Amino acid sequence: MGSLTIITIKEVKELVRDPKILIGVILMPLVLYPVMGSAINISQKSVMRAMITASFAIYNEDEGPATEAFLNYLYTNNTVIPIEADSLEDALIAYQDTNATTLLYIKEGYSENVSQGLKAKVKVYANLKSMTIAEVGSSDNVNSLINIYSYYLSINKIGRLLEETGDSAEPSVVKSPLSISSASIIKGNVLEVPPSAIFSLIMSQSILLPIMIMVMLMFAIQMAATSIAIEKEQKTLETLMTLPVGRMTVLSGKLAGSITVAIAGAISYMIGFGYYMTSAFSFAPELTSMATGDVGLGITPVGVLLLGVNIFVTLVSGLALAICLAVFTDNVRSAQSLTGFLVIPVILPAIILMFSDISMLPTTVQWILLAIPYTHSIIASKSAFLGNYIVVVRSIAYISAFTVAVLYLAARIFSTERIITSRLTSISIKGLFKRR
Amino acid sequence: MVSAIEAKGLVKNFGNILALDGASFTVRDREIFGLIGPNGAGKTTALRIIGTLIKPTSGVAEVFGTDVVRDPDKVRRIISYLPEEAGAYQNLSGYEYLRFMAGFYSSPGRDVDEMVEEGERISGLDERLKDRIKGYSKGMNRRLLLARALMMRPQLAILDEPTSGLDVVHAYHVRQMIKDYTDKMGVTVLLSSHNMLEVEFLCHRVALIDEGRIIAEGGPDELKERFGAENLEQAFMEATRIG
Repeated sequence: MGSLTIITIKEVKELVRDPKILIGVILMPLVLYPVMGSAINISQKSVMRAMITASFAIYNEDEGPATEAFLNYLYTNNTVIPIEADSLEDALIAYQDTNATTLLYIKEGYSENVSQGLKAKVKVYANLKSMTIAEVGSSDNVNSLINIYSYYLSINKIGRLLEETGDSAEPSVVKSPLSISSASIIKGNVLEVPPSAIFSLIMSQSILLPIMIMVMLMFAIQMAATSIAIEKEQKTLETLMTLPVGRMTVLSGKLAGSITVAIAGAISYMIGFGYYMTSAFSFAPELTSMATGDVGLGITPVGVLLLGVNIFVTLVSGLALAICLAVFTDNVRSAQSLTGFLVIPVILPAIILMFSDISMLPTTVQWILLAIPYTHSIIASKSAFLGNYIVVVRSIAYISAFTVAVLYLAARIFSTERIITSRLTSISIKGLFKRR
Repeated sequence: MVSAIEAKGLVKNFGNILALDGASFTVRDREIFGLIGPNGAGKTTALRIIGTLIKPTSGVAEVFGTDVVRDPDKVRRIISYLPEEAGAYQNLSGYEYLRFMAGFYSSPGRDVDEMVEEGERISGLDERLKDRIKGYSKGMNRRLLLARALMMRPQLAILDEPTSGLDVVHAYHVRQMIKDYTDKMGVTVLLSSHNMLEVEFLCHRVALIDEGRIIAEGGPDELKERFGAENLEQAFMEATRIG
């Protein structure tokens, strides 16, 4: 067995057997996300059930055939609580004692207005007792019922008027004479899909991946920093450095071990997150009915390969950076605090680019973001979906150049005695490159 | 005959701190050589230089004729270094730790199993080797680490304060391990200690070190005689007074 394999296996064993890492990085996402998904699912289902089965109250001040027809429509297939009161004020008080979340108030003169072709007025009161989605949804349900009734009332009226004038037009066409349909053009192909639908699809696909990359990167940074800090804390580094094994092999073994555990963590995260997505939104199947492949945005094998390379170089750069920082600490806690600062350059581009395209930002912000290598990881993953492989390759080249620079720095630190003697208080970059 | 260690004029600065100030000493093949001195005398710095961990600011150190600065990889293949207060990987078992370390030294003439078997025997930890190291006492930890350092039969074992902080029983066992093993296997040992009794018991020759300089070198009896002292402790005090 080669020295690199020996060190990598040891690293993986050490990291995985650490309860903090095993639970926090590998087991937690597998448990936490499905639990979160189930919780959302249960609450959403109960909201929907509450919305569907919700009863509403009616306070009617009017009499007449149009009112009677309207009430007949409302009472059919709905649970309606009629409110008997002398005034609206009393009705509102009485309605609040019922379990109805919505009150429909039919004003006096409704029937007369309908028959005379004037606007007939109704009002919907929502009693927001607990400020839940169910309460708002219930009010929306009543509005929908009224809108449907209003539509058919209008069609009916238009039909009668057309009959009187002898016009042969369709009442529904008279009501809505224009029909709008949307299409989108992607990579020169016309797709009969509205742009908003494609946008939300791209967002869900291209945002999810950068988030995954960022999460994996954070795991990896934590792993690498811990693996160096553990050596220092447990005072094993000195022994390791006197073994007949190249220091670059030690460094590579640590990187390989950290990457292995980070990938395991990311897989566990993806499984957990996938379960969260399917279970949390199972009540809304239309969200997942369209795939990128359906709209010509399916990723090609070249795209997958480039994405893989992008993720790999991003990971290695993060790990090398974490190792460089962790060398200057004495224990796991201080290593993790120090590498905690790396969260900023990792998360900042992810958040900004989640909401906007880099070209939309002010020039100064663009330059700052473009200087951060992790911005390119996100740009690359979005571009891979859109088939802009030149952008992906350019991003990979930038991250790789940064990675080589950081790896060189890590190798320098590892090949000098500073790995043993350095402390945060004695950091001297100039000294690192000083020739003896 | 080539000396096991030839150190000449070793100087080491850590910023403004002068840890070694021209230290020179010679360790012969197959002897146990002790560096004796108080805390901060420069013992660990000297051992770290010989162990290829740090480089001297000036001066030369050779291990069996190989320069520790010019060819550290060659030196690392024939030495075994046990740092003071060294630890082992807490999440591995003692057995896994020995196996991990042996993996770097396996050769066609000696495989990993053979070395691990020897490590098990030297440590005397028996069944406890199957347990995770995090459950070991300080003494058990030290015995494991010493077994690790000796099981690969290095030409030179560098032991920094091998019994520091151990209780009487463990310290006795560790000393016995060093003596028995080196007698039997012909390993050269360079150790540091501020326990004069230990040094007298173990070492064939010693060097007294103070403020980064070697102030005397010779056999324990020879040094006692030279300074008219009853034991090495008195000899050291006398040497520092004169020096």
